[in-house]
Amino acid sequence: MQLAEELSGLLGPGRVRAPHDGEVACATLIVEPRSEAEVVELVRKCERDQLTVAPLGSGRTLAALRGAPVQVGVSLVRMARTIAYEPADMTLVCEAGATLSTIAELCGANRQRLSVDPPAPPQTTLGALIAGAKSGPLRLSEGTVRDLLIGIRFVGHGGRIVRAGGRVVKNVAGYDLMKVMTGSFGTLGIIVEAVLKVRPIPPRYELIVACYDSCRDAFAAAERADATGPLAHCEVLSPELTGGAFELHAGYNGGATEVEHHRAALKAVLGQDAKVLEAAAAHDAYQRLRDLALDNAAIAAQAAVPRAELARFLDESGAEFRAHALCGVAQLYRRECENATAARDIVARWRERAEALRGNLRLIALAPELRDQIDIFDTPPPSAFALMRRLKQTFDPRNIFNPGCFVGGL
Amino acid sequence: MDHAVQRQVDAAMIAALGEIAGDGGVISRPTELKVYECDGWTIEKSAPQLVIRPRTTAEVSAVLKYLWRAGIPFVPRGAGTGLSGGCLPLHAPVMICTSRMNHILEIDRANRRIEVESGVVNLNVSNAVKADGLFYAPDPSSQMACTIGGNIAENSGGPHTLKYGVTTNHVLGVELVLPDGEIAELGGTVEELCGYDLAGAVVGTEGTVGIVTRATLRLSRLPETYRTMLAIFDEVAAATRAVSAIIAHGIIPGAIEMMDQLIIRAVEDAFHAGLPKEAGAVLIIELDGAAAALDEQTAAVSELVRAAGATEVKLAHDENQRALLWKARKKAFGAVGRLAPNYATHDGVVPRTKLPDILERIVAISGRNRLQIGNVFHAGDGNIHPIVLYDERDPDQVRRAIAAGREILEACVELGGSLTGEHGIGVEKMNEMPLLFSPDDLLVMSELRRVFDPAERSNPYKVIPRPGGCVEVATPRRQAPL
Repeated sequence: MQLAEELSGLLGPGRVRAPHDGEVACATLIVEPRSEAEVVELVRKCERDQLTVAPLGSGRTLAALRGAPVQVGVSLVRMARTIAYEPADMTLVCEAGATLSTIAELCGANRQRLSVDPPAPPQTTLGALIAGAKSGPLRLSEGTVRDLLIGIRFVGHGGRIVRAGGRVVKNVAGYDLMKVMTGSFGTLGIIVEAVLKVRPIPPRYELIVACYDSCRDAFAAAERADATGPLAHCEVLSPELTGGAFELHAGYNGGATEVEHHRAALKAVLGQDAKVLEAAAAHDAYQRLRDLALDNAAIAAQAAVPRAELARFLDESGAEFRAHALCGVAQLYRRECENATAARDIVARWRERAEALRGNLRLIALAPELRDQIDIFDTPPPSAFALMRRLKQTFDPRNIFNPGCFVGGL
Repeated sequence: MDHAVQRQVDAAMIAALGEIAGDGGVISRPTELKVYECDGWTIEKSAPQLVIRPRTTAEVSAVLKYLWRAGIPFVPRGAGTGLSGGCLPLHAPVMICTSRMNHILEIDRANRRIEVESGVVNLNVSNAVKADGLFYAPDPSSQMACTIGGNIAENSGGPHTLKYGVTTNHVLGVELVLPDGEIAELGGTVEELCGYDLAGAVVGTEGTVGIVTRATLRLSRLPETYRTMLAIFDEVAAATRAVSAIIAHGIIPGAIEMMDQLIIRAVEDAFHAGLPKEAGAVLIIELDGAAAALDEQTAAVSELVRAAGATEVKLAHDENQRALLWKARKKAFGAVGRLAPNYATHDGVVPRTKLPDILERIVAISGRNRLQIGNVFHAGDGNIHPIVLYDERDPDQVRRAIAAGREILEACVELGGSLTGEHGIGVEKMNEMPLLFSPDDLLVMSELRRVFDPAERSNPYKVIPRPGGCVEVATPRRQAPL
């Protein structure tokens, strides 16, 4: 209680609260700063009093990550302003609490979009997108947040406000702290603002869907689809996610002639039975595909392996999956596990296989009772890990930023 | 910078390092060392005392371990084509050159990636996979000579980065030999990372974190075909309007390059590429993709540039015409040598919509400093390359050339841009870093560097200016001692 009062004293009334349901696993207290200056004050206090602290948007990523809650959860819900959107320059500057759906609405008015598409845009904040290195189907054609993030501001150790990059699309002045912060899961500081490239929304988009009896047939079809020309995205889904067969969902876009050309070429390689979705039907199907996951799975993980190995990897895994087939990345699901030992064995097997292919695997959701038994992340090679540890110590010498749940216990 | 006692380069050291690097691995004769006294930033020169040319990662590691124990800082060097003095030796007597580490190690066509040693020349990567319908996207103008290691150090770009991104977007993993000789594997070979993105952090550090010895690069699929256009304008302002119009229409060409009259004339005299010498500016616009899509887009672009004021739009009708246009563009800097004894190329960036403003300011800067300034640049992403012409035999011209450069960079920053789009900070723009970054920003960047190089032995006195304690010697531009 005393901490709540102290934090209220710092930020003013009504800005410190108990966690909501989804936040309970994240933090024991939630604070809602309104400005960068307030985040600075919070970080200074946390360092001074050795309080653990982590930024959160809707809290989904953090909840899945943490074994035990941090003491102070910094919700960025009140820091969601658009600082600058320049359609002609195709750049967007937003505070980290802005959600992807707000950004989509803003940019959509100019037929532009932030072309990174993780599930659930209304619940995904810009901060979570960056810190969690989230992605979706469009990564095939548009890259990931790593490719779109051109500038950043974060509050780091000592309450320092650190800025890197800028507001121009091409820029090599100074070290690339954007890369350091992307995928850092709140362990190096609190991202407060980001600059991103936005892209034009193609005039037309269509989706072709084809069904297969086996995983390998579906992946073979994905390769044939790829050979017809650049696709917007290309997913293979396993039966439990489709309610039937293995399905290939390949999206393509462009001007009218381009789309017609794509459609004809894809039909030629996928067969005339493949179903083409156009206009609103295509967009609805794409949104379902983007948000698709196996709900309430006992284990959900994301694996990355060489793309040519993905079919075999998934086939042998025994998992249900949504695969970004041409990127070598897939989300794997296991609905139920008999017990903790079985779950551990399954994850260990997946992990071993991914590592044998020089890939990696990380858990994205795990039944609460399994959380302290299974590592969320792989362990990086020792030479890289030694540098990661040094990076963490340098950027967070008091070890207060979301400690203990990143790779190797960082 | 650590203050450990430095051993001097002496005969024993040359012999020991020669033992590691083998035949032809050590260069120590002053006449031969002169080759290494600068890169493409020729305003300042300083030859190393010793150049080592290792052949393997193990040799790089052994050399660095030796230097670490001796307390000697070093400078990594690829082909020396950099444009910001990145491999100019400053208080670093030993240079380590990757030119003998030039092997392509593995081409993995099925997974569209390639593993190379860092001394491999950029263009050789694309050439090695061209027959498979693949290419390595970053294409700096020096791509016939520059190395992948140098590209990684500088995060190099090129004309086609408008659509395809710069070096960092195409590097999956690197092998880095740290200044103490330890070897680190960073990043990986797949599309997701395990832990912090240290490979991403290393790209663009300008040789200040150790020596990259290998890299796994992403390969892209060659476009089915190209449409390369030359749009001719009476004035530069109309050309910049055309650039914005194309982008606003939702078309992202592979490249949009601009040349102004001064450059057009120099290039035409040198290469006879068919450029109109009376034009105020030209744009080279290249669309790429499926043939079916390109006719539609080409028609749209043609209409847009005419509406913006193009007097003529020519389409390259075959690969020869396309190659000639690109030769003219990529060799433009060489052609400038015809105009003046010396020139300094700058590398500012502005938001694309501010191109008309920056060009107007450059005209004023040119007038004020009584120097000719030509413009050839990557218009699509607002990355300008003003070329300041001068004669180094006239100290007053040198002074004015330096002033003009500084004014251009200040103008870029004022317009919301950056000091460098692709050439790097090096020594050239170190003093301007505080225009862009706060002391805290710079401090945290130094801290990141020291994660890799705690004693600041790798390429010291680069990128981040040092507050106080440094003397200015060579030029009024820099705070590091030469």
